[in-house]
Amino acid sequence: MSIRALWVVSHEKGESGKVRFSRRFPTVEFRAKSLAGSHYVAVPEDRVIPQLLLTELGLVDADKPYVDIRDDCAHQHRSPAVELLIDGQGGKTLWPVLTVTQGTLILACLPLVEAPPEPRPPLPSLASVSQGLAFLSGLQDFLCGSGGKPEPDVLASRLGALPSVLLQVCPLGRPLDIPPPSGLVPSAVAPSPGGAQKQPAWKAGVHRGRAVVSVALTEKVRSMQYGKSSRQDIWDVYGVVMCKCEVEGVLPNVTVTLTLPPNGSPLQDILVHPCVTSLDASILTACSVDENDGSAFSGPYKFPFSPPLELFRLCSYTSQVPVPPILGSYQLKAEENHLKVNVVLKLHESVKNSFEYCEAHIPFFNQNLMGSVEVKVSSGQLEVSKEKNLLVWVLGQKFPKSREATLEGSVHFSGTVTGPSDPLCTGLTAYVKLYFRVPDLTLSGCCVDQHSVQVYSSAKPRIVTTRELVSSEYYIWNSTGDAPVSSGYTVL
Amino acid sequence: MTIADLWDQRISAFLLSPSQFLATSTSEIFLAELLHELRNDKINDQLKILLVSALLEHPTILCPSASVGEETALELLSIFSQTPQKSISLKCNVMLAITNVIICTSCLATHTKMAEDWLDLLFQTIQDTNDYRCGQSQQPLRATACDCLREMETCSPGLLSQKLEALYLLKQQETSVLHQSYCILYTLGLKNAIRILTNQKEVTDFEFKSILGGNEGFAWRTNQNFLPINMIVQVPQLPQGLDCKELKSIMSLLLEESYLLTPISQSSLMRDLVEVVAMVPGLSPTLFKSQLLRLFGTAEVVLMHATLFMKDTFTDSLFTAEDENFLLKRLVGSAQHPLLRIPEKLFYMDCILHFPENRPISSSGEECLPVLVTPRLAASLLPTVFNDSATMLCRLNLLCLVHLEADEGEADKGIAYLFDHIMALLKIVDSDGSREVVVTSFRALFIFLKHFNGMEELSEKLIDKLRDIYSRHCRLAPNLIGLADRIQECLDDPIWSVKLLRGLQKCIMEMPPLQLTIHNLSWHLKVLKRVAKEGQITQRNTIYLLLNVLINSNLCERGKWQIGNAVLAVCRNLLEHPSIDQVFIELADLLQYISVNYNDTDIKDHARFYYTLLTNLSWEKLTGVLAKGPDGGRAKERSHSAIMAESEGIASNLTVCKTERHVLQLIKIQDKVSQSTSESSESLEDTGEARNWLEVYQEQFQTPGFGSEVTLRYNLTHAEETDPLFDRVFSICLHFEFKDSNYAKVSDIHVPCVFRDRKPPEVNVQLKPFQPYPTTLCFSAMFTTQDGRSWHSQLPDVSISFPEIFLPLPIATNASSACREQVFDHIWESAASGNPDKSAISLFCFKPGDESLADLIKTHFQGYLITDQQSERFWKVLFFLPPMCHVLLRITQAEDAVQVSIATDNWELLPFVNSYLRNITDDCSTTVTDG
Repeated sequence: MSIRALWVVSHEKGESGKVRFSRRFPTVEFRAKSLAGSHYVAVPEDRVIPQLLLTELGLVDADKPYVDIRDDCAHQHRSPAVELLIDGQGGKTLWPVLTVTQGTLILACLPLVEAPPEPRPPLPSLASVSQGLAFLSGLQDFLCGSGGKPEPDVLASRLGALPSVLLQVCPLGRPLDIPPPSGLVPSAVAPSPGGAQKQPAWKAGVHRGRAVVSVALTEKVRSMQYGKSSRQDIWDVYGVVMCKCEVEGVLPNVTVTLTLPPNGSPLQDILVHPCVTSLDASILTACSVDENDGSAFSGPYKFPFSPPLELFRLCSYTSQVPVPPILGSYQLKAEENHLKVNVVLKLHESVKNSFEYCEAHIPFFNQNLMGSVEVKVSSGQLEVSKEKNLLVWVLGQKFPKSREATLEGSVHFSGTVTGPSDPLCTGLTAYVKLYFRVPDLTLSGCCVDQHSVQVYSSAKPRIVTTRELVSSEYYIWNSTGDAPVSSGYTVL
Repeated sequence: MTIADLWDQRISAFLLSPSQFLATSTSEIFLAELLHELRNDKINDQLKILLVSALLEHPTILCPSASVGEETALELLSIFSQTPQKSISLKCNVMLAITNVIICTSCLATHTKMAEDWLDLLFQTIQDTNDYRCGQSQQPLRATACDCLREMETCSPGLLSQKLEALYLLKQQETSVLHQSYCILYTLGLKNAIRILTNQKEVTDFEFKSILGGNEGFAWRTNQNFLPINMIVQVPQLPQGLDCKELKSIMSLLLEESYLLTPISQSSLMRDLVEVVAMVPGLSPTLFKSQLLRLFGTAEVVLMHATLFMKDTFTDSLFTAEDENFLLKRLVGSAQHPLLRIPEKLFYMDCILHFPENRPISSSGEECLPVLVTPRLAASLLPTVFNDSATMLCRLNLLCLVHLEADEGEADKGIAYLFDHIMALLKIVDSDGSREVVVTSFRALFIFLKHFNGMEELSEKLIDKLRDIYSRHCRLAPNLIGLADRIQECLDDPIWSVKLLRGLQKCIMEMPPLQLTIHNLSWHLKVLKRVAKEGQITQRNTIYLLLNVLINSNLCERGKWQIGNAVLAVCRNLLEHPSIDQVFIELADLLQYISVNYNDTDIKDHARFYYTLLTNLSWEKLTGVLAKGPDGGRAKERSHSAIMAESEGIASNLTVCKTERHVLQLIKIQDKVSQSTSESSESLEDTGEARNWLEVYQEQFQTPGFGSEVTLRYNLTHAEETDPLFDRVFSICLHFEFKDSNYAKVSDIHVPCVFRDRKPPEVNVQLKPFQPYPTTLCFSAMFTTQDGRSWHSQLPDVSISFPEIFLPLPIATNASSACREQVFDHIWESAASGNPDKSAISLFCFKPGDESLADLIKTHFQGYLITDQQSERFWKVLFFLPPMCHVLLRITQAEDAVQVSIATDNWELLPFVNSYLRNITDDCSTTVTDG
């Protein structure tokens, strides 16, 4: 259950990779050597690591159309672990190298294979693989934060702090914990008071100060709408409950309860944070890959837990909702030298007509740049981005009373400059993508009642609960063109 | 540049590439510098941590032997104890470095005193539970000590097996966050102790109980690695009927508290506990029942994985059929959960294919679909064009397996879906998908064909589609050739590849001439070259096309070598084609046309040569000549085929064969008599006048190259095990390279022949040091065997030790001993007075052992003695080291010890001198004093 080495490599476009951080664990290497015997493959020096990694990830020689070792079709890239082909060691390979890529950063580690050297064991039989994966995820959050792409100086300072972080969480190659996520340092923390109760290892101290519990429920809705009888529209939601509990005590007890309205469809695929102390078996039974059973448990969903100091994801779920919040239709027709566009959006009556924002993006790919745009909207405003070949229909905070809005008109493409291209959207294959956010609403009807949050502690805490619905991958495809299949479910 | 910056640069350079860094120095020197600097009070902790990192990451490079390791650990220990308490981070790092050095240099395995002391110190450190004694500021040190002990226990299982009661108490007492470290340390110790006990034939209740109650010293055992129990065929078990009450309550408590551990540590703990239960028949797997629900619902990949390990170990004694079904659904759900990360989802898909079923049908370790995974269950994992490439390929592979095993009705629909998916990918390729999309699509094609190549209708459709795409995007030629090759390799039946290639040939034939631009033509030629390899495809059209293109274009006039060579490459494969007689005339015409009209002499020549072969040899002979015999045959054949223009042919036939084995080796010739300086100085007569011998001596160095070389003599012999093929080798060229840059390049040495049954030839290697440090000489040999093939072989490294570079004082052989002594004294005096700057003096003492001092001197210093006053127990010894270093020894025997005063004009040599002296006085007890 150890890792032999750890790397952070950066690769800017057109440059060779650079090792930004690396760490080897010689005692693990010592074991690797004795376990593998004559099959032992030493970890190469850092100077050659970037090239090996980039080759394996298909990131070298971007200008060459085909390179054997990079592009061979039998060379399958479908595992979280890759193998690095080491030069000059008689075709020996270093396996399993786990990698996580974020932007221009590649995080990689080499877990120890605790198995007889031959034959190669399956990945799931190695304990160190899941630990390596978890460790890399933690490292990713530590280096990149929630923003995704840290500024160069921020990244440099986080890389600089890494040795002292590793001293705590992985001093000798055996991870004890993952690096703490950056930017989530809790405010008022006092050292553990001592006493009979053991301090959880995932909680550095105890909270001091006003007691506040905040529970935020965010639901994301995805949809693919085709507007065709031959192809079923699909939509689903997934929800996340984020908690921040500023409560005193070493192991305070908190219970959060999620409830559904009567007839609400059950929450599925529930995943919980490890701080949840116990679970009712019925909570876990509903599963999206299963046939839906009408008699399934539909709440209340109780999550008793003892909170860590930082903000954390208490649980997540998926849900099948009966209707999409916005039903759209998109018709695009080619006429002589222009395209006729018609978009209709209908807000479902069960959805509150109060958006924080709502926009429809209508991109045109594989065309010359737009010339004149003669398009009218029944509600909201239209913005035209010619260099991106994009129409942005800003619907604002509300749909009109009729709960229906239309966009109609024609777009001419002139000039000789080609606009953005996309291999998927050729011919009349085109889409409208919706972006919206509705505060204080969930599609599944799931909610966290302020009064249902129970905190067993001396001071009565202030309890804040919020919920919201946000769109994610919400596409409406042109019904007059071919649309790509987005889920096997509807086809089978 | 400050010292800190300088070190920063040096350490970074070292960590980036130790071999390159040490090429300009040696590990001894670097290590000495590091340790020296670590003792420097003036530099700050941060810099010291940086220095320690070199030892932390590469202990075996810096400490190549156990003895150096032990010395270094001792040094570090003294640094550790001198570091003030407030430098907590530095102390932790030094602690880790010591542990690394001790484990990696086998000090632990060989049970050295140092390792024992270190273990005691670590154990003492962890006694301070809840920081009563040292205060909370020292907590990190305790945490580090726990981890060091855990690593030592892992590398030497059972080390803590007699200390479990003590560890248990510590674990119970500790209430700070560190209880996690104590908890996993205890559990590991417990697991290993039980594992060791299972090796015993019979185990009594007393022995079993004494494990838990152990409170003694460390248990030193022979080193062995324990594999996890899922990796061994038969899980080792204790006998039935032992009283497990106490162990059971310990286990329950550990499980109860597991919740307080971080997920990663929890997973380690669970795995250790699972192993314990598996080894002790008296413990029931139902112990884990209380944790199962919590684990089933977890979002953490480590905990889910540990649960699967539990499932694999206990199967239906812990998991009902319902649990199994649930777990599998959970995995399928997780494999596409929108909130999990891609690597995790890929891992879950891998877990589905290696799912530990209660009733597995096979247990081969191969990818295998669990019975419960039906097309219905897996429908959510059907690949789409919106997936990233790894996810898409992983899903495709999984779903191919699902539908390969599904019932007919369901399978048809599923396969149709997968086929449509492949077509959708190809459509994207067709609309100018990026390189990544192209590569991914061909990988998807490969997976699909691997599983469904038998479905003719589908595979025909694919061929049509690929042909169609090729007609528009001939840059896909290498991808298509690659696909044909790989499919042919992976399936027994090559028919699909042949059909594809035939389709591509047809597609090229049917292309309108306008599309045959030079750029496209080079792709087409690649395809045709591959097509020509297929005996089942008729080649007439290919030849017509080539002739047609050459006649009707200006290619011949332009005479581009690349195009000509590509055309000839097709012809070469055509020559080998089995039905060549059907197109004999056409091919001959083509070759003749090229040989007459192509505007490049090389191409013309080759075409003429092919033409001659074609028209003069029977097909059998022709293919015999052209065959690339990998195993050789006679030398003559190879030289024929080596003339072929076909690039691969040239490459494989002109290439020097490589052998991984050591064929030859160099064996040092032991006598050192013939060691001499390169030039003998002219006769110097001792006239007794007051000549300044030192000046004379120093003048010699004005002559370029004087005294700059050492000659080492070796025998070149066969390595012990070699093939009879290599019994007689000829024209050997030895090529030398140093691992560092302390020596000038050694030029190649040529040896006419080495026969196994003859006296080995002598090889003189002349070394020219820039710095006279010990080194390693890597060398390789190129030679020819009797069958005419050339070979390249790496030979075993030759290490050159410090004394091998010693030369006697380079002064005329007939110079009197008085002259020698005069030179000696002069050098000594100037060294003692610090001239030149790098001079240093030092002292080395030892007690002569069984061997008398005179013997010692005779054996080791004979050739280097300046004065030998045995009667007065006083000797002067001088080693000359090229290019111009001196090491002078004054040896005096006092009553109970021998004192060796050392003077040198290069202090960097001192560590080597010391270890050399220590080495030769190994049997004697020694003490060293720095000068």
